[in-house]
Amino acid sequence: MVTKNSADVVIVGTGVVGVVIAEQLLDAGHSVLMIEAGPRVTRAEVVENWRNAPLGVKGDTSVAYPSRPWAPHPMGGEKPEDAYLQFTGPDAYDQTFIRYAGGSTWHWAGTSWRLTPEDMRLNSLYGVGRDWAFDYDTLEPYYVRTEHKLGICGPSDRSQQWPQTGDRSAPYPMPALPFSPGEVKFTEVVKTLGYNNIPVSQARNSGMPYDGRPACCANNNCVPVCPVAAKYDAETALHRLEKKGATLLVDSVVYKVETNAQNKIEAVHFYDQHKESHRITGKLFVLACNGLENPKLLLMSQDDRNPNGVANSSDQVGRNMMDHPARTFTVTTKEPFWSGIGPVVNSGIMETSQGAFRSEHAGAYFRYNNFARNRFVTFAALKKGLVGKALDDEIRRMAACTADIVAAHEILPDPNNRLTLSDKKDWLGLPKPSINYDVGDYVRKCWEVYSQPIGKQIAEAMGAIDIKISPKYNNSKHIMGGTIMGKDASNSVVDVDCRAHDHENLFIPGGGAMAAGACGNSTITMTALALKAGDAIVEQMRGA
Amino acid sequence: MKTVKSFALAAPLALVALAPAAAQEFSKELIEKGRYLATASDCVACHTNHDGGKPMAGGLAMASPVGTIMSTNITPSKQFGIGNYSEAQFADAVRKGVRGDGANLYPAMPYVSYSNMTDEDINALYAYFMQGVEPVDEKAPETKLPFPMNIRVSMMGWNLLFRPNEVHKDDPIQSDEWNRGKYLAEGAAHCSTCHTPRGVFMQEQKSLNLTGGQVGAWYAPDITNDKVHGIGSWSKEDLVTYLKTGKLENRAQAAGSMAEAISYSFQHLTDADLNAIATYVRSVPSANAGQASGVTRFDKGSAGNDMATFRGKNYADGLKGDHAGGQIFAANCASCHGYNAQGTKDGYYPSLFHNAATAGDNSINVISAILNGVDRHTEADHVFMPPFGDQVNAVVQLNNVEVASLSNYLLAQYGNNKLTVTPEDVQVIREGGPKSNIVQLARIGMGAGVAAVLLLVVGFVWYRARRKARPAHAA
Amino acid sequence: MTRQSKDPNGTLMMSRRGILLGGATLFAGSIAATLCPTLSLAAVDAGTQGQFMKLSNLLIQHQLSPAVGARIVDTASGEYKNLPQMLDAIIAIAEKKNAAQVEDFFGDIPDGELKDFAHWVISAWYSGCSSEKRNATVFTYEEALTFKTTSDILTIPSYGISGPNLWTRPNLPLSAPMPRF
Repeated sequence: MVTKNSADVVIVGTGVVGVVIAEQLLDAGHSVLMIEAGPRVTRAEVVENWRNAPLGVKGDTSVAYPSRPWAPHPMGGEKPEDAYLQFTGPDAYDQTFIRYAGGSTWHWAGTSWRLTPEDMRLNSLYGVGRDWAFDYDTLEPYYVRTEHKLGICGPSDRSQQWPQTGDRSAPYPMPALPFSPGEVKFTEVVKTLGYNNIPVSQARNSGMPYDGRPACCANNNCVPVCPVAAKYDAETALHRLEKKGATLLVDSVVYKVETNAQNKIEAVHFYDQHKESHRITGKLFVLACNGLENPKLLLMSQDDRNPNGVANSSDQVGRNMMDHPARTFTVTTKEPFWSGIGPVVNSGIMETSQGAFRSEHAGAYFRYNNFARNRFVTFAALKKGLVGKALDDEIRRMAACTADIVAAHEILPDPNNRLTLSDKKDWLGLPKPSINYDVGDYVRKCWEVYSQPIGKQIAEAMGAIDIKISPKYNNSKHIMGGTIMGKDASNSVVDVDCRAHDHENLFIPGGGAMAAGACGNSTITMTALALKAGDAIVEQMRGA
Repeated sequence: MKTVKSFALAAPLALVALAPAAAQEFSKELIEKGRYLATASDCVACHTNHDGGKPMAGGLAMASPVGTIMSTNITPSKQFGIGNYSEAQFADAVRKGVRGDGANLYPAMPYVSYSNMTDEDINALYAYFMQGVEPVDEKAPETKLPFPMNIRVSMMGWNLLFRPNEVHKDDPIQSDEWNRGKYLAEGAAHCSTCHTPRGVFMQEQKSLNLTGGQVGAWYAPDITNDKVHGIGSWSKEDLVTYLKTGKLENRAQAAGSMAEAISYSFQHLTDADLNAIATYVRSVPSANAGQASGVTRFDKGSAGNDMATFRGKNYADGLKGDHAGGQIFAANCASCHGYNAQGTKDGYYPSLFHNAATAGDNSINVISAILNGVDRHTEADHVFMPPFGDQVNAVVQLNNVEVASLSNYLLAQYGNNKLTVTPEDVQVIREGGPKSNIVQLARIGMGAGVAAVLLLVVGFVWYRARRKARPAHAA
Repeated sequence: MTRQSKDPNGTLMMSRRGILLGGATLFAGSIAATLCPTLSLAAVDAGTQGQFMKLSNLLIQHQLSPAVGARIVDTASGEYKNLPQMLDAIIAIAEKKNAAQVEDFFGDIPDGELKDFAHWVISAWYSGCSSEKRNATVFTYEEALTFKTTSDILTIPSYGISGPNLWTRPNLPLSAPMPRF
């Protein structure tokens, strides 16, 4: 029986990981209570927030999602000392995510690259990083389920699919989306260099409605929000979960995981928006916050039995923070490419992420960003002082003849890339997370000897008359590693089902568990892990 | 209570011992002809649960003003379907609304229209249902209605008064095409079931044939040749295009049960038959002809937006005050229909001005399209507008005040600016259309000793049930 | 054109002027109709509004929405204390040259305050904002002229462009004609 303060299963977080597990449990007949730190808003409001934002900051996803005082998340334009995330080390781990019901899939691009079998055996094959605790074939059925659950479209031609090495046991439920003129041309250009620019498999309804959501009509606005819900985001599942019986508490910030004498989880505690504390009990608990909030919460929950924090006997909680450090080539070409027709990320070169070189340096994934360029070029054209026809022509030329090519790198799990609790406090008085971060020599060497030369080669082949490269590594918002998975409880946080080694009724699924993230966006793998954890939870609840 | 007992003829179908139909082999041609007629009659729309049910096995819940009717299993299953029907019994069910066991069908089944079918076509339909449909040995859920609606015999008197008993006969003055069109439109395609208003006894008012009627949450509009209120401004080709594709670019698109009629029936008919139907329908005059003047319901409204009043400001503020409708439009509709409601250049997402959906003679379809969305399958594509009601897949769940505000903006800016919508109007559509209080009246009336008369009335309510809650039109 | 701040019919005059100056935009009629109440509430007097639209039409040879113009001049009146004089001055320069288009007189606007203001007006119409900054005032998104320069091929992000998967199109060369707007 679910009540406002107890349920069979208590899930902290309402993002994609939380909602797919919640639905598995509801379908299996268990009561589910979900706790969300932030507010619940309508798609209408988010869309209009973005339209109401100034043109010059439309590239900042946070403008559509103002954070609430009790549930801070990174907001653009903040002073570093006021910001929610605190940084140390040579690189800033300045991710974007949101604490809203539905989580950060609200503003993901929908890109869904599977890992390759090789990505999951980095240490065995290349002597670097960690191997996953299981192999690709174990994960594959969960990838298929994820593709059908989220509605991921992709090519049916095997030569255009990713990965090339692992098998697929089922086709995508929808075909790949058509390319923009720029993507067609980019594909042709890189072909001359021997690279295969393939369609992104993406959680977007392609040519048909799917799961009661409409087909994509190329609003070119996947980031920061799909205005029509053609892209999967976890918000689209919330009402369905409620109709299936889930209870959803919002504006409720979980700050403590309570253990009992058997060192099982007994309850979680949360503050409401009036700073009043509440306690929620359950048989089993799932931490489905993101890869920053989960380790933060575990560290905050330290008690006498768990002096390093809950689930942290290994001292690995908050370590191995990973992302896909990215460098952007802004290319001005002689002839038009025309980005901006169709989804914002629709194609990519993945084969450059694989190779024997991985014993020496990282691989990289190159993508052609397909955002309409007006927002990036209008002020630049205006600053040239042009008027009349010359101004019109210049805006149009710059929209047609500029493009962003992004090289996203794989990073190795490094225990020194570590989230700790800062001494700075947020509005509720809870510690802000602090992240020490260094992208590392594995990435830097790749940039020097591999990805930068390839990027320049591509830019030149595109007919570049100007190339500007982002001066530092940008973050890709793919938060991984902080509750890393392994078979050995002494150097990992969760087991193969994302169950905490230290607590049999605590699951911590999602990106934090990933032992290697390769170059592709992490959500499809996070969701596959969530489904795997969900199966394990259903099985475990059967005996409960 | 006596009355009830004496009328308790409605024994479950399966218990009725009937002489089994003689085992008979029908020709492939005859079965195929029957399949086509079944398509033209759109049997599958109601007799299949489209959420995973088997074809013709029934089980589709159809909301009506007096309760939920479940469609029946009409597969040739001997135990649960119509496998034991003789051809004569089958003919009586289709044309007279009389079941194999002698009980009356509820007129949710459009036997009033089917009554014009020729013996030859009944024979083909029978052949198809006996040998072209897979038997499904599953019991369809029973219809359970409140007293006195559960008294099927009440339909007998009504049938006497209002059920035509003659099959179609060609009018020698008219062309073959017109006659074929009339046969289909008034018969199998049962246009009048929805498009003709009902009288006091819920009978089709033949004098007002095809001038429009409410069907559940939707309004089946005037399709006479009236140039303003009907479709007199359409060419024959326009009407054929509409029936084939479910839309006429930037003028009209089928939703609700008309979308189903397109999906399951019209798009599969031959060009010759569609042309015949168009020829006939375009010849049907409006009883209100002569009053027709002014702008047609396909030419009202104009492009524009209200965005300068709220753009760059706070969304919550935009929802307050005079411009709430424009704000709700921007946030929920404009992403597909365009910020000036102009639609996409390829016409896939229609403009909301110059469009029957917003320019009808009443606001029912504006409200219903918002609440229920559009879902239509054709050979070319699967047209889908998500709903904005309380459905699990509603993109945004708009409340009654918001839907009213949005409707009023749409009507004023893009459609029939003489109409206004209240939150109460929205609630009525949200509940599936106007409810009938006839059940209550009948109970009281019977207590007062006028049972016979009122029982008659009660029966007629069934016609309202016709097309269940999914119905809809925007033609 | 003299200002009519004390004219009781000023609002009406403005809305009629607005329509005339706005040109026969595809949607002008309906926009102007909804605009009237907004204008009557605006902080800027009708004469200044009229002059602002006149200047805007001299600086930009495209159809301009009076409703958006009202939003821009509202902000301009706060940011430029001598707005009426600046409007008059630039209009006078244009009229002296019998300017039919911006190219005919823009070079004659003296550098400094007047030219900066002329650029600001152009920037406001093209970007829909008062500046490039995070705290900019937004006048319009959908009708920012930057999107009109690419409206034949690109969508305004967040608005759909075509039916499902029907957006394949050839790459337009730079020689393709500028959309008319």
